[in-house]
Amino acid sequence: MKALFALVRKELAVLFGSPMAYLVLALVGLVTALLFFDHLRVYNQILFVYTSNASGGFELGTLPERVNLEDQVFLPLMEQLGVTLIGIVPLVTMRVFAEERARGTEEILMTSLLTPSQIVLGKFAATFCFVTLMLTCSLVYPAAAVLRAGLGLPHLAAVALGLFALSLALAAIGLACSAFSANQIMAAVSAYAVAFVIYDFGWLEPFLGAGAGKLLDAISLQPRFVGFAEGIVSLADLAYFAGIIGTAFAVARLGLDVVRVR
Amino acid sequence: MQRLALPGLIAVVFGLGSYYATGEMGPFGIANVALGGGALLLSGIAAARRVHGLAEGAARRILLPRVALCLAVLLGAIAIERLAAHSELHLDWTVDRRFELFPATKSALRTLPSELTATLYHDRADPRARRTRMLLEEFARVGSVRVRVRDLEEAQEDVERFGIRGTNAVVLELRGAYEIVDRPTEGELLEAILRLRGAPTRVLYAAVGEGEGDLESVEASGYSGLASALRTEGYELRGLFTATADQVPEDAGGLLVIGARRTLRPEAAGAVQRYLERGGRLVALIEPGVRSGLEGVIEHFGFAIPDALVIDPAAGPVEGAPAGVNPVVAAYASHPITRGFSNRTLTFFLRARPVEAVHKPEPDDELVSLAFTSPRSWLNFDPAAVHGTSAPRPPPGTVFQRYPLVGAGRYPRPSGEARIVVFGDADFATNQYLRSLYNLDLLMNAIHWALAREDAITLRPKLLTPNQDPLTPQQTLGMLYGVGLLVPELLLIGAAVTWLRRRGA
Amino acid sequence: MFQHGGAMYEAGIERARHGVRVEATGLSRRFGEQLVLDGISLAIEPGETFTLLGANGAGKTTFVRLVIGYLVPSSGRVTVDGLSPETAPRAVHARLGYVAETSRLYPDLRVRGLLRFAGQVRGLAGPALDEAVERMLLRFDLTTVDRRLVGNLSKGYQQRVSLAQAFVHDPPLLVVDEPTSGLDPLQQFEVREFLRSLAGQRTVILCTHDLFEARALATRVGVLRAGKLAALGSVDEVLDAAAPLDLFRAAKAMPA
Repeated sequence: MKALFALVRKELAVLFGSPMAYLVLALVGLVTALLFFDHLRVYNQILFVYTSNASGGFELGTLPERVNLEDQVFLPLMEQLGVTLIGIVPLVTMRVFAEERARGTEEILMTSLLTPSQIVLGKFAATFCFVTLMLTCSLVYPAAAVLRAGLGLPHLAAVALGLFALSLALAAIGLACSAFSANQIMAAVSAYAVAFVIYDFGWLEPFLGAGAGKLLDAISLQPRFVGFAEGIVSLADLAYFAGIIGTAFAVARLGLDVVRVR
Repeated sequence: MQRLALPGLIAVVFGLGSYYATGEMGPFGIANVALGGGALLLSGIAAARRVHGLAEGAARRILLPRVALCLAVLLGAIAIERLAAHSELHLDWTVDRRFELFPATKSALRTLPSELTATLYHDRADPRARRTRMLLEEFARVGSVRVRVRDLEEAQEDVERFGIRGTNAVVLELRGAYEIVDRPTEGELLEAILRLRGAPTRVLYAAVGEGEGDLESVEASGYSGLASALRTEGYELRGLFTATADQVPEDAGGLLVIGARRTLRPEAAGAVQRYLERGGRLVALIEPGVRSGLEGVIEHFGFAIPDALVIDPAAGPVEGAPAGVNPVVAAYASHPITRGFSNRTLTFFLRARPVEAVHKPEPDDELVSLAFTSPRSWLNFDPAAVHGTSAPRPPPGTVFQRYPLVGAGRYPRPSGEARIVVFGDADFATNQYLRSLYNLDLLMNAIHWALAREDAITLRPKLLTPNQDPLTPQQTLGMLYGVGLLVPELLLIGAAVTWLRRRGA
Repeated sequence: MFQHGGAMYEAGIERARHGVRVEATGLSRRFGEQLVLDGISLAIEPGETFTLLGANGAGKTTFVRLVIGYLVPSSGRVTVDGLSPETAPRAVHARLGYVAETSRLYPDLRVRGLLRFAGQVRGLAGPALDEAVERMLLRFDLTTVDRRLVGNLSKGYQQRVSLAQAFVHDPPLLVVDEPTSGLDPLQQFEVREFLRSLAGQRTVILCTHDLFEARALATRVGVLRAGKLAALGSVDEVLDAAAPLDLFRAAKAMPA
């Protein structure tokens, strides 16, 4: 166990020993903040057009119901953040195994007392810590603002939980792709490809018809995230994301053995 | 062929990327996915050949169990997810618990005579459609409901056939009949289902003859909306002519008195009291500034309704009245009538008098004050003087406190349990205001409770009034600078420091 | 450069005084269609410094990777102290330290941090870990650079760090792949002196294509050519029996 913790600490030290980690965190926070600011600005403009009374009054029926902070600002931003994560998480995960292999330092790990499963677990744990930190940085501004939207902390927690589950699933997919490659670009591109394929299977509907939609929704990432965005924390959705992570873990573990027998 | 893997992946990424960017799978996307997929297939065949070459001796010994484990994990994950889906366990963390169906809704869904088809028509840009679909899926979990979702643009025939007026409309079809719900909240959908299904009836007598609210009038000041809602939810309305009636009929499930303008005859008031004594049910809406004749009866059953106007400055000017004259209620006691109500389910009243629970006629009686104004409220004992646009001022020595505007009492008696609900206002239930905020819910729930139909209690416009207040430009900018930009700035400084330390170390 | 520590170092030697036996039987490894190692059979006794000679691409690195368990044999077997790296990997890894062909280190870690990490993943903890790290810093003369990032060190220092991380847990078997490659003559001398100091007390498998190094360090020599063991024997038997370049040529026959 101590060796495992040593690996996690080493991974985080290597990660934060490089400016890249800070750049990724800053990029995600900045993109989210600017997107949110832009959504708010547009929302205020819409309100200005509709509202006929000055502030302090209480006019009934002056605004369409769908014009509100939740539907116009917060939820669209959270969905955009979900797609943004697809773009950023593979950049974090591509180096985890691939860089070790390319650099040759994998041999240090593979000749240590760590089992291959522990190596995979340690790298998963360190990556998950980083992804969690990345998500926290991105949610600080929207959270501070939308509590005022009347969503309530539980709903905000549901959305955060959904983003957390989605980003961990994407990270697990990225790690599994990295475990099969010594080339970071290959690892990143394959992670993008897998994530794009399973994010939303709506692209298959023209070929399979709407009837297959329900089955496809059950194995897509985005429909599973939607429930959290709407404030529903479903055991099935949590089990889905946990299943993605578990399967990716097993595949990453397979990747280490493939290298040994290839 | 192995070298095709990376170009193939790039092609797939761009093909699907075009789908996410445009929302549809066009020729560019199809071509890229097809070519990229083909390249990956060829690359996979080449890799498989290598694997076949490795599928001997040590490679087979090591890889096969590992591949089997991957498959086992995948199958296990699917099984666990299916089990979880079957359990339907979920938490509704929305503020208004919009996906937790009320008992009334569940009861209606479970007793559907045949399959109900719920079709949601929406345009793609409508953010509410997803929420509505999730609500309909909750309905489908409870009862025999088939949910369909159709794009408005592709369903022109249905739009014309059903007369659909806008996006996010739901058409409910049951046994050949249909209902259109333009604002598909749980309550509106429930009402539509009840209309389609037909609800069991109970007889509700409404007092007439002393200037009470007219249940047939469609004017803004009329109460036809209330009558319609009552009929929808299974009540048969009959008039009780209090000018001549000396008793409340035996078949009365309940008695409704809405805003009498003239004082009831003592005989009529006595009839009401005797009715209650033998286990009757009364819902009374009493206007301030009017002696309805029921004050004695109500006081006998433990409620005081002083003839005063509750002024609540926290409400601000509502519907053109001076500030505080029309109170907005956001505080409720815990009671079956207010189940699901919170500080986000607002109701408002127009010139209301307090309804205070002061004593229990019998030890086992239960009296509850239900809906309260803010702690800044005070009583104005001269309602007639409150008019115009200037807000009334409290005189020196005024006591500021919360005042209840609704009271509910339960009175177990040997001959039956009597129930009374008293509202200190009648205008909130007129056609003009009944469907504002949660007025309808409060009144309908009160009637259901009074007639011991707790299973029918629900919230009708299930969506909260969403927050539509803008953040001021100063607030928006302040948060952007303080949090939105400061955190990334600090991280970039951290990146710079790290880089400089690396160079120097 | 390399200093003999005090009591700590002596205690380490006591524990692993004689090294371990390494045995390969019919060891083969294929990469796709290419047979890189073909039926290698040899035994390395405890305390030996066994040098594996061969040209680039002869299969030396593949051999050591099979010994350390990083690769799996296509056929045959290899054991370390009677243990198979495939079935008892942790036991084998606890007995060996490995220095790769080129310094394969984490450039973003500091020297002390890297050594601590190497010790922790090899089972050291607490005071034993602290002791081992201090010993390595002393032994390989790294105390002046212990706070520096590994990536900013010169090649010579990086090689010392490589040796230090491989030796931090005082293993009875040290596998070293071309340790002096790219070093200047003084640095090469220092590395060889360290390896020489282990003679008789550790088993060392040294891969090199430097004949001078082989002659200076080896107790026995093996020559790999095109994946086969072309020669095996004492230094005199192998190195004196053929012209130096012939040891690497594929065409000429070699004495058995």
